Amino acid sequence: MKLTTRELVMLAVFGVLWGIVEISLGTVLKSLNIPFSGVVLGGIGLSIVMIGRVFVPRRGASLFIGVIAMLLKLFSLGGVVIGPMIGIFSEALIVELVLSLGGQPRRTLFMLAGALGVLWSLVQPFVTGPLIFGVSLVETWGNMINQGSSALGLDSGAVLVIVIVLIAIRLFIGAAAGWFSWDVGHELQKRLGRPSQPLQQSS
Amino acid sequence: MERSRARTVSVVAAAETSLLGTYGHLAVFMWLLGLAMLAPAARLPLTVAFCGLIAAVVYPGALRHILRLRYLIWMFLLIAPAVFFLGERDAVFAGVAYSTEGLQMAGQMAMRFVVTLVAIQGFTSVVEVTALAGMLERFGLRGLGFSLGVALNLLPGIQQSSYHAWHALRMRGGLRRQWWRGLQLLVMTIVTNALKHAEDVALAAEMRAFCPEKSRPMPVRRGRLDWAPAVLGLASLLFLIVI
Repeated sequence: MKLTTRELVMLAVFGVLWGIVEISLGTVLKSLNIPFSGVVLGGIGLSIVMIGRVFVPRRGASLFIGVIAMLLKLFSLGGVVIGPMIGIFSEALIVELVLSLGGQPRRTLFMLAGALGVLWSLVQPFVTGPLIFGVSLVETWGNMINQGSSALGLDSGAVLVIVIVLIAIRLFIGAAAGWFSWDVGHELQKRLGRPSQPLQQSS
Repeated sequence: MERSRARTVSVVAAAETSLLGTYGHLAVFMWLLGLAMLAPAARLPLTVAFCGLIAAVVYPGALRHILRLRYLIWMFLLIAPAVFFLGERDAVFAGVAYSTEGLQMAGQMAMRFVVTLVAIQGFTSVVEVTALAGMLERFGLRGLGFSLGVALNLLPGIQQSSYHAWHALRMRGGLRRQWWRGLQLLVMTIVTNALKHAEDVALAAEMRAFCPEKSRPMPVRRGRLDWAPAVLGLASLLFLIVI
């Protein structure tokens, strides 16, 4: 992946913005154990990545931003950083895959990338729990249902409804993040007098 | 000029004489995480004691950090549900019913949590972020060292300007009626401010004829015993899997 100096600096800026969100807002939300904090952080972070992708429409740009944010989070003061680090990297990777494999950038592709990226916050405990903290899949499932039932005010017996609502919330917020970043990215480019660029292949 | 060159040479010489470099510390980090993840429940206490021994030798400071109240609260939040919700509540302590199976699981989770925490604390305390970027550059992310340097440089300024933009918007009631538009304008202000800083950095780099393709990757510190944790780690992980 060959990037110009200007592109590298721009990717650094968007990496910093995502890093700031994770370091400041992320630490507060996770410490207070606020429900759906992963969804909120994912939505904001992915909006920043996708706006960055509008400015640097190259394969690998989203992943690059994610790696910078991840490294900033790793070396920041805060709680346990391995979960958020894996989250940042995975979300950036999902956005990268969707935007790179989907061809020319368009609003629907951004919405899909955002939706799948935010959906990762639901899947991640099933990966990191057993692998890193030794929590069984059954317990992770139980935790998810308990948290979902208390956050949504639903009976914990209505498992199917809880899971559907949890998925729907993530898909909706992710798609809204995609919509938002498409609009903001293009409006910013217009205001800053930069022409929109098509997706460029990295050599 | 001569003085700075001499200083660089002395720093490099000091790095070359240290026992563990960046690759060595990464190997220790992966070793500890691997042991915590792969250890079966029956061997977990012994494995954790072994991890503690490694950490005490390589990262003596990291063991002290994990006793902070913040980490203990995190650990409690992680393991507490298992004690009450996993398995049958078949025992009572001080009038509170709990599950013995859940308590065992909670103990295992706590041990794995401690090892993970020590590994991260230790790794981040001895490896600099630029060294890690230099290593990632060698694995294909060219220009990451430069970008990360710029990021670290921009971080305080952008953080400050972002807070100012947020406060300005909030004080003017920007998120009351047209909150969606308000949010868009907030993000646009923050990104524009950040890009203005970035423009200056890019211009300065270009004026100094910086070219990412021709620049050398960030230096990675090498140690005399970098191979040792990799070999020992692989051997102990194989031992754990096979036996």
